[in-house]
Amino acid sequence: MATATTYTEIELISLLKQKSRQGFDYLYQQYSAALYGVVRKVLTDEQTAQDVLQEAFVKIWNNIEKFDPEKGRLYTWMLNLARNTAIDKLRSKGEIMKGKIQTGEDVVYANESNHKTEQTTDTIGLRETVAGLKPEYQTIVELAYFKGFTLDEISKTTNTPLGTVKTRMRKAITMLRQHYNN
Amino acid sequence: MNVKEYIESGILEAYALGALTEVERNEVEANIAMYPELTAELAAIEDGMFNYAEEHAVAPPPSMQNQIWDAIKVDDDSVVNEAPQEEAPKNVPLPPSAGGAKRPGWQMAAMWAAIIVSVLSNFILLSQRNATKEEQKVLASKIDSMSAQQQQLASVIEAYKHEKDMLADPGMETIVMRKEGEPDMAGMVYWSKDKGEAFLALHNIPKLPEGKQYQLWVIKDGAPVDMGVIPHNMLTEDGAMMKIANNVTAGQAFAISIEKEGGNPTPTEVYMVGLAAS
Repeated sequence: MATATTYTEIELISLLKQKSRQGFDYLYQQYSAALYGVVRKVLTDEQTAQDVLQEAFVKIWNNIEKFDPEKGRLYTWMLNLARNTAIDKLRSKGEIMKGKIQTGEDVVYANESNHKTEQTTDTIGLRETVAGLKPEYQTIVELAYFKGFTLDEISKTTNTPLGTVKTRMRKAITMLRQHYNN
Repeated sequence: MNVKEYIESGILEAYALGALTEVERNEVEANIAMYPELTAELAAIEDGMFNYAEEHAVAPPPSMQNQIWDAIKVDDDSVVNEAPQEEAPKNVPLPPSAGGAKRPGWQMAAMWAAIIVSVLSNFILLSQRNATKEEQKVLASKIDSMSAQQQQLASVIEAYKHEKDMLADPGMETIVMRKEGEPDMAGMVYWSKDKGEAFLALHNIPKLPEGKQYQLWVIKDGAPVDMGVIPHNMLTEDGAMMKIANNVTAGQAFAISIEKEGGNPTPTEVYMVGLAAS
């Protein structure tokens, strides 16, 4: 940390609106790793991920006036912005189909290998045990958040009824919430 | 909408995970706007997801901070280029109220409009208040005179009612005293022989000149018995009735005479007479 100063969300937003470098540095130090982590989960290519991270920060900088604190928290807004930028890149590169096929295979692996917890993977860390999530929950979360699949697409890819997809999403996030609360 | 079921369905998680189509997203946002419980639930969901993101944070290459800043500067020439301070004093000029640091023009215009409207309406309200105070005074005096009138009316009504009740009483005898040639004038005596009570009411009897007073008599066995003078207010208050002070148990007629102020032991100028039923 270059500086020990901490700002509240309101102070940070105010600094960003004043276009201050101090505000940018603080924003970057606080959030770049979380944003980059999300972008890297969406995009496998490191250089593309870096381009997207830069694009996301420029968007945050230019659109801070549009951020409405009444609609949610700053980090949620930034995370979604970074994630959406990455998903757009994924789609524009035509990677989406590849991603879908790959992930479809992964799902099969994931379901078959419940008993094999230690498994290495070449792609997106699908088998990392996230907060102790069952693979079927984890798959759904990753398909939605990191691959930009809609409910319908997830339902078809995983051959799971739509209602079940939604309730699994709820269960997965609820487990995340409980995990981080402990 | 059942909020609990809606939350349990997992639609908010799907929303937070970005798995909804635009139509579905708009629907969820409309529901969130209507139900505060949904806002709270969504915030908790987002917290959980942020923690997940933090746990999976990956530090970008160190060169990127400056690279991104350069990209921002190229893109935006309004940046304030301060050197990053090692121990930056925590000195953030905050806007006086919640909201943007720079107020757009329309906001300033709206502020001034609001201030002008406020001053004007204060002025108008103040003058209205003064006018209202005057009106209040006028109304208060009107109410005073009205309640006085009402009291008067109430006593008149009370008197008529009393007279009516006595007329209805079968034990009560009514004697009407009249003056010849003056059909509108009447002196009414309501007499309960058994009780020895008598009441007097006057109708259209003219006022007397200064120093004169009406006096009431009962004629008993051919001789007038003094029943007292009639107070002057009996002539001004129509329908007023007085109880005759003396006990009257017998008599053949009642009479009113004009006497000097305070009355006389015997009548001098008889004004009107009425015979009792024998």
